[in-house]
Amino acid sequence: MSKFNLLMTQLYKSKIKSRSFVLMTLLYVAIMSVAVFWSDIKELFTGDEEAQKIAIVNETSADFSEIFVSNGDMEFIQDETNNKVLEQKVKDEKLAAIITISDENGQLQAEIATFTPLKLNDQTTISSLLQYAGKNYAVQQLSLSSEQAAQIMDAQTVISNKNLNEETVGGKSEEEKQSGLVVSYAVGILIYFFISTFLSMITTEIASEKGSRAMEMLLVSVKPATHFKAKIAGVLLLALTQMGFIAVVFLVYAKFVKGGAVWDMAAGIVKELSVGYVIYAIVFLLLTIILYLIIGALFGSLVSKVEEAGQVLMPAIIITMMGFYVMLSGMGNPDTILIKVFSYIPLTSGMIMPMRIGATDVGVMVPLISLGILVATIIVAYVFSLSFYKRSVLTYSTGGVIQKIKTVLKVTT
Amino acid sequence: MTLQLQHVTKKYKDFTAVNDLNFTIEKGEIFGLIGQNGAGKTTTFRMILDLQETTAGTITWDGKSVNAINRDVLGYLPEERGIFPTMKVEDQLYFFGELRGMKKAELKKEIDFWISRFELEEKRKDKAETLSKGNQQKVQLIASFIHKPQFLILDEPFSGLDPVNKDLLKDAILLLKEQGTTILFSSHQMDNVEELCDHLCLLKRGVSLFSGSLLDLKKQYGKIKLAVRTDWSTTQLLAL
Repeated sequence: MSKFNLLMTQLYKSKIKSRSFVLMTLLYVAIMSVAVFWSDIKELFTGDEEAQKIAIVNETSADFSEIFVSNGDMEFIQDETNNKVLEQKVKDEKLAAIITISDENGQLQAEIATFTPLKLNDQTTISSLLQYAGKNYAVQQLSLSSEQAAQIMDAQTVISNKNLNEETVGGKSEEEKQSGLVVSYAVGILIYFFISTFLSMITTEIASEKGSRAMEMLLVSVKPATHFKAKIAGVLLLALTQMGFIAVVFLVYAKFVKGGAVWDMAAGIVKELSVGYVIYAIVFLLLTIILYLIIGALFGSLVSKVEEAGQVLMPAIIITMMGFYVMLSGMGNPDTILIKVFSYIPLTSGMIMPMRIGATDVGVMVPLISLGILVATIIVAYVFSLSFYKRSVLTYSTGGVIQKIKTVLKVTT
Repeated sequence: MTLQLQHVTKKYKDFTAVNDLNFTIEKGEIFGLIGQNGAGKTTTFRMILDLQETTAGTITWDGKSVNAINRDVLGYLPEERGIFPTMKVEDQLYFFGELRGMKKAELKKEIDFWISRFELEEKRKDKAETLSKGNQQKVQLIASFIHKPQFLILDEPFSGLDPVNKDLLKDAILLLKEQGTTILFSSHQMDNVEELCDHLCLLKRGVSLFSGSLLDLKKQYGKIKLAVRTDWSTTQLLAL
């Protein structure tokens, strides 16, 4: 086996068995499982609750029985009259609430009487039912025919878009943008977590070799450049292993759980977003991880012991967080100038550009330019880090990052 | 392998670590580099191993430049003791051996031999961090020459060892010499040097004070220091 392979395999083998890596992988699987089985899990917690009994006291002449229809959560008891008895029942918790509907100058008025407050869900449902009932009542007061009344109640405006700019004709529909936004959000979070995990992994790995002074033993037989490359390749391989494992678990879920419902949904989303989006997202993810690994390796070579790794990692972590929050800001409006700027910055473009591709109408060139900048940055960072690594990896110094860089430059030039 | 240093100098911005150093180490001999802390020993080693560049001068192995030789013929024990803390002793030795191009089967024989010689059998499967400092040092020492290097550099190999282990190490060094390994080691104490070295170099603040054989050194700078302890009086002693 070549020295490169030996170093890479040693790193891979030791990390893949490490508790933190296994736990992180299981955590991803657990999150995915919760997402896939969400409805069943919800059922488990809420399923055996009985429907809340709610009495309706209708003091108007109108009929609301078609509006207040019992469902699994709420059972409506229509046309009750004796308020005293009902109130006692609420106090005894035999009833959840009493809704008293009355007429006030032609407007519907409702009073909800409870002993223990209603669940937020139920409260919202009741409110919207009452709003609907109110409109319905108002329409009924106008003594229209039932067809006319239905026409008013069901009225909806049909909206269609017409783009007069010929260059961007065939832009994304509202639904496409919405699902693009949701998927991009998930992809962005995933990229953020991957970067944070593997960035700190490579930095602490190199820092601990340096700190335990095993580095000198290694560098006598291995060139610093080989060591540098082997570390990056090893951690990248671990990242790919983790992604591959998650992808396999996802495929198994998608294909075999709930008769392939998840698969159909995923296929639908991919179709809506286009295959191009998926490819872009994967390419951005991998390139961003590679860039952060190069930076992480360089930072790891700067510190003198593993305890200092957190200190040098801070700037990189702040940048990833910045990218993450800019991406979050895009959830509300992905067209802001902030998003546009950060989608070109190499360290954050991996999180933000996929969102622009998925949720806004970008030309063909925009993602390519961003990708070009990212690739160029990787090449520059690689060449620079490689030459600096040779000098920093055996230099032990104290102080902050800047001080460490100064010391390296001082003792090696 | 013959190692030759000619006019080797290492300067940092405001400090000269090694100044115009010259010496030659012939194949199969043991060479001692003696000096106080900060004399430039480790810097010299790092330059010999191509871990640091020289500011001036040349270092050659059998006439070839340091960066042109196959690094697997070299062995190095750094001054700071360092091994992988969470790796098992045995795995550690296999890893360093394989890194130097040895096959697992060959390594097994060597590892068995040295582990029993340094009395580490019981620690074989233990993680390195659980070992005592002295034992860690022995493991690292084995790791530095497990691949049977032609040239072995030991930076302060005796520091931190108890007398029993010092003797084990001395025997090991002599055994390696018998097997044809050329050895360069550093020390800040003369007593280890006398028993082992054929030639030596005295270094003070980066400058070589003496370079040559131990016998020549004694002829040049030799003093006889005799201590007598007795209950005789001074007059009685002088009368002897």
